Amino acid sequence: MSERTQNDTSQMQAQLEQLRQQLYEANETIEAIRTGQIDALVVNDGTGHQLYTLKTADQAYRVFIENMAEGAVTLNKDGVIMYCNSKFARIISCPLSSVIGMAFEEFVPQNNKHLFQQQFISSWSGDSKEEMTLSCKGAEVPVQLSFTALQLNDGAALSVIITDLTAIKKVQEQLEDNNRQLAAMNKALEVSNHDLMQFASVASHDLQEPLRKVDIFSSLLLSKVGNSLEDEARVYIKKITGAIKRMKILITDVLNYSKLSEGGNEFQRIDLNEIAKETLDDFELAIKEKNAVITIGSLPVLDGNKGQIRQVFQNIFSNALKFSKPGQDARISVTSKKVAEKSFASQEAADGKYCIISIKDNGIGFDEKYLPNIFALFERLHTKDKYEGTGIGMAITKKIIEKHNGLINAISSVGNGAEFLILLPVHQPVNVY
Amino acid sequence: MPVKRILLAEDDKDDRFFFTESLKHRDDFFLMPIAENGADLMEFLEAIHPAEFPDVIILDQNMPRQNGLQTLKLLKGNDTYSHIPLVVYSASTNDMLIRQSLESGALLVVNKPSTLDEYNKMIDDILQVINGN
Repeated sequence: MSERTQNDTSQMQAQLEQLRQQLYEANETIEAIRTGQIDALVVNDGTGHQLYTLKTADQAYRVFIENMAEGAVTLNKDGVIMYCNSKFARIISCPLSSVIGMAFEEFVPQNNKHLFQQQFISSWSGDSKEEMTLSCKGAEVPVQLSFTALQLNDGAALSVIITDLTAIKKVQEQLEDNNRQLAAMNKALEVSNHDLMQFASVASHDLQEPLRKVDIFSSLLLSKVGNSLEDEARVYIKKITGAIKRMKILITDVLNYSKLSEGGNEFQRIDLNEIAKETLDDFELAIKEKNAVITIGSLPVLDGNKGQIRQVFQNIFSNALKFSKPGQDARISVTSKKVAEKSFASQEAADGKYCIISIKDNGIGFDEKYLPNIFALFERLHTKDKYEGTGIGMAITKKIIEKHNGLINAISSVGNGAEFLILLPVHQPVNVY
Repeated sequence: MPVKRILLAEDDKDDRFFFTESLKHRDDFFLMPIAENGADLMEFLEAIHPAEFPDVIILDQNMPRQNGLQTLKLLKGNDTYSHIPLVVYSASTNDMLIRQSLESGALLVVNKPSTLDEYNKMIDDILQVINGN
């Protein structure tokens, strides 16, 4: 009894072990199916190998292909459509039922036939893509065809994905059209800009001549009959010569501004320390008058147009001196630092590609809401009676800085001085136009 | 030092007036009859004896028939006159005019004066340069 029982027990244990193994394998298979690692099973059921495709996966792919935005067809060796999704039928505007069984070539217009035939032949030995048009009932549709050869169990087939390019082509055409319009507008702008510059230049030259005569005749008048004139009349003549003086500066400034707009810029290595100090010499008189102290810190050497950068210093120094606080000695300090990025917020970096130059004064300052006005042409924050100026100086300054691929900004508040900040690249690109 | 002889070519009536009016009190130079343009100036030079040639010629740039630069080139290309110092003056000098004039042999290129004082200053400068030569 005990022997038989023992035999039964060990047999059952072996069976149990086998079943456990089968269960483990079955679980593995289910897991593989569930995670999509396999999509078909080949089972030997004694009568031979039996292929079981997974209905769930098949369905998913079918749904996927049906719903995708592209047309999909499968062609046999003869180019006959074995399968197609409904999107393809929609692209070529043919009923789905009539498409299957037709030769794909029938949808290829005459002028594309040769191209298609070449692609059809070469695609069997490797994937390829081609843009062409397809047509059905006359209307041609721009498409991209992507060919992939497949080895199915009932023979070789060619899968073709058809991407409808109608929308893309339309957008492309629109883009091209917009680009053409932009180019034309650009050209017109360039011409008009050039005309304007020419006008400014010619006008300034031609305005100078009659103005010069008014100037000389006024001074002749004053010297000839000045003594015999009433005080009032003499004031009138003085007013005329004063207006002429302003007009002359205005013309010169307009001329300079229009010159700045012409063409490119020539850069050389310039030492800003030298330029700033040279500029100070021009202001000797004003500095004495305002009891001004101008301190210049260590400034960089960079690529720039010497004459233009000098003008920048001239304009800013001149402003700082002009707008000093009455009854207070003017203090102007110039400092600089290298920074890494083209931004006033950029961190200081000893080997940075840009430098920020600060010119700070203790003058009357201005409300920052007027900042855009300061750099605009002909804009002035003060009346002429109080402070002379044409309103072109800072516009010229801004233009120069822009021509140097830099930035300019100012920080100020009323009564608290002004700080002009200039950001310039240390090196200029070789060809700047 | 003998009094310098200045020959002026100027088409503008007002400018001729300014020139004579601002300088009439001076006796350190002699202003020859003013030519009205470049061609007029050439005719005048051809008509006078070399001993009477001017010590300096001042040419207005903008003149009809023959402008300053054209006249300058003609004079500098003629052996009879090429030794005479030439000054070009214009209401609006620009880099191009200055460069072309100097390349063609002008001694000076100056802006037309805007005051009577500036006329005197211009003549001072011109006399200084030709006396230095």
